[in-house]
Amino acid sequence: MLRHNKFFFPALIALLVIVLLWGIAFGSVHIRLQDMFSGLKHAFNGQDPANIHEAVFIQLRLPRVILCGITGAILAVSGVLMQGLFRNPIVEPGLIGTSAGAGLGASVVFVLAPGFSPAVKEWAGTLLTPILAFIGAMASTIIVYSIARNAKRISIMSLLLVGIAMNAVCLSGINFLAYTARDSQARSITFWNMGNFSGASWLQVVVVGIAAAVVFIISFNYSKQLNTLLLGEEEATYLGVDPNKLKRNILLLNTIMVSVATAFVGVIAFMGLIVPHMLRLMIGSDNKRLLPASMLLGSALLICADTFGRLVLAPAEVSVGIITSLIGAPIFIILLKRFNLLQHKGGYNA
Amino acid sequence: MKKFISIIIVSILLSACGRFGNKEADGKKDQRIVCLSKHLTEMVFALGKGHDLVAVDLSSTYPDSAKLLKTVGYHRALSPEAIISMEPDLVIHSNDIGPENVLPQITKAGLNIKAFGGANTIDSAKLLLAELGKFFGIEKNADSIIQNMEAGIAKAQDTMQAMNIHDSLRVMIIHFGLRNNNYFVMSGRNGVGDKMLRLAGAKPALYDGKGAREMSAEAVALANPDVIVATDFGYDRMGSMDKFISAVPGIALTNAGKNKRIVRFEEHDLIYFGPRTGENIIKLVHLLYPNNNAKAQ
Amino acid sequence: MLKTENISFSIDKKQILKNVSASFQPGEFNMVLGPNGSGKSSFLKIFSGEINKFDGSVFYDDKRIKEIKKEELAKKRAVMSQQPELSFPLLVEEVVMMGRYPHFSFSPNKKDIAVCNEVIDKMNLSSFKERNYLTLSGGEKQRVQFARVLSQIWEQPETGYRYLFLDEPLNSLDISYQHEFLQEAATLAKHNTVLIAIMHDINLAAQYADKLFFLKEGELVKYGTPYDVLTPDLIKHVFNVNAAIINNPVTGKPLVIYN
Repeated sequence: MLRHNKFFFPALIALLVIVLLWGIAFGSVHIRLQDMFSGLKHAFNGQDPANIHEAVFIQLRLPRVILCGITGAILAVSGVLMQGLFRNPIVEPGLIGTSAGAGLGASVVFVLAPGFSPAVKEWAGTLLTPILAFIGAMASTIIVYSIARNAKRISIMSLLLVGIAMNAVCLSGINFLAYTARDSQARSITFWNMGNFSGASWLQVVVVGIAAAVVFIISFNYSKQLNTLLLGEEEATYLGVDPNKLKRNILLLNTIMVSVATAFVGVIAFMGLIVPHMLRLMIGSDNKRLLPASMLLGSALLICADTFGRLVLAPAEVSVGIITSLIGAPIFIILLKRFNLLQHKGGYNA
Repeated sequence: MKKFISIIIVSILLSACGRFGNKEADGKKDQRIVCLSKHLTEMVFALGKGHDLVAVDLSSTYPDSAKLLKTVGYHRALSPEAIISMEPDLVIHSNDIGPENVLPQITKAGLNIKAFGGANTIDSAKLLLAELGKFFGIEKNADSIIQNMEAGIAKAQDTMQAMNIHDSLRVMIIHFGLRNNNYFVMSGRNGVGDKMLRLAGAKPALYDGKGAREMSAEAVALANPDVIVATDFGYDRMGSMDKFISAVPGIALTNAGKNKRIVRFEEHDLIYFGPRTGENIIKLVHLLYPNNNAKAQ
Repeated sequence: MLKTENISFSIDKKQILKNVSASFQPGEFNMVLGPNGSGKSSFLKIFSGEINKFDGSVFYDDKRIKEIKKEELAKKRAVMSQQPELSFPLLVEEVVMMGRYPHFSFSPNKKDIAVCNEVIDKMNLSSFKERNYLTLSGGEKQRVQFARVLSQIWEQPETGYRYLFLDEPLNSLDISYQHEFLQEAATLAKHNTVLIAIMHDINLAAQYADKLFFLKEGELVKYGTPYDVLTPDLIKHVFNVNAAIINNPVTGKPLVIYN
């Protein structure tokens, strides 16, 4: 069984490294290895890039690919956390409305920011968008969660339906804002809403990276407790866990990292579904392994999707959100079918 | 849902303008220029520097040779790397590129960038031509183009006189916006379209869409234009005048719809002023008033 | 021992338990019986610590349950509930290992692994160790859950007792396993354990229990040894059914026969 295979994690890491190098080297501009080394050397010495290739590498390509990797990790880990929390395998931030809520919050900033008081803008700085995205994501997640959890057994259908409703509400909100916005703002929204890394900057990498690191470390520490939650809240209590506190904390952490990522790169769906599903088939549901593995595979996959989007129509780019949807939607349907078929047997069968 | 619409947009872009696969033309260049603005592209070609262009934005469709150039994407949805990969010595734009991060990014990467103004009025178009002439050191070319432009416009005015237009028609311009994937009314906003209509002896139909992105069938019916000018892509999408009248909302109720007065006009002849403005006005007049006898030709 | 004093509990103005006072001694097999809706499950949830908003007190030895930290309690108290909900693929050995979670902080040590293996052996699950839990039958799943619960309190604490509570544990078991299960539990009870089970079948209860506790409409109506408490009047009062009690010739315990 793969779960005991000691080469599994090294293989994942190797995959990530290969994909990272591929993403860094290839694109509308091809970056050669020597440009990478000299670019890094100059950057560390505080010098300006020596030529356009180094400039593209240091200023555009590297932050973009790294941000993409961090975002992929965030979305995949978020999928695992939400699936543990809601105790079913077909939830992820995109389907449940977390991402859409974040998108709505960010759109409010895009469209209404000129109307905010300068004091507010001064105080929040670049964090204005992520803060509002967080508020939006938090609101939508809480609403979906409270509506869906009133059943003793959280029914998948009710969860997905409420999630669909929440997505619809948020997306109409975003559309409404786009509708009432002045031209250039509206275009910002539609473009951004599809998931886009071309505006990646080192500042974003730092902000999103810190959020991700903090949340990852805390969630990995909760692995055991999350495992007990799989047995049910009652069982978790008997094993010494406070399920309500655990759920609140995980929900909060999860929403923070998803909203920070969405604030900068837009709504990217299905990563939280594809990655945990693939991994569970290989290594099972123990969060101690699943969480770090999702982090690695999520990174690698999103970088792949983004690089593919950059190459297929070069020099134009296909938004990464489109690619994840093209792959993710069929997988979602397959998962639904599986789950429906197994309702009689009462569970998700890997 | 939005994703699928985007996929459709991408496919339309792919099929309608398979220009992403264009190869770079051979030939000596003085400098490699990337132009991100449709009117700048036309003017650069007119000034005789077209051979220096290595890539343009998607909406640069005039002249035809522009369509043979490589494209870096829609000017509102650019990627900095796409521009950089063209290895330009110069990037020119007219301050309407997006998203916002692109301009700072390509500037920081060290590209040579020059912004020029718009061409929303005849005067600004002339100024722009002069500016471009000065910038490229070809004032002589610029001057002769400006003179031709003025001559063309004068000729158009003569033609108008000769045609003896008494009742100016109410005209509405309907455009198909790729961004939102729908038709919208381009006239009535006091933009270049309106000006062109007036220059061609027509009145922009009073359309109060309240700044909305989409057409309101009722507002269109209320405005009741006598003639509708449909831009090329939107017209061709429908395929025929009858189809256009029946499929686009509100048209069938208007005079234009009832009298089958839908005329097709190239978008790039209607949304900015430039060297061919004179000829474009004449073209428009003849389309709008086909029965008025023109003595001058 | 486990003592409950004047437990009262209501949900939405409906009174579920009324002043239930009982004490459960270690070394004995205690069983709680009663019709549906008599409050048995709620009672168990209260004295096991799952519900903590109630009137009255629960004492583990001499300590109030509210003063015992959750993590500490989990090391000596284990509960097998009625319907474990696991719907994700986990190996049997992973499920059993979860019973050891209260005993280690990040990774299981040798002792934890040894305990799990012992318990798996004991429950005849060795051939299932690496099977996906979800592919097991209802009865097999029950055994795995029991193994998990056992591994949680496998070690006897240095001071005090361990506590094992079972909520209708026989539901999906074959008859042979039912008896095996009860015998296993009874043996466990002898070693410093307070054992309380909620049961449905009066005869099985009579056969294996040392003490019976009868709940009706939230009140503790009678408790004592099977001989002392099982009478036709009691059965009629609690279950509203006519019955006769005879002596089971095989086991020597009371046998209830329904009319």
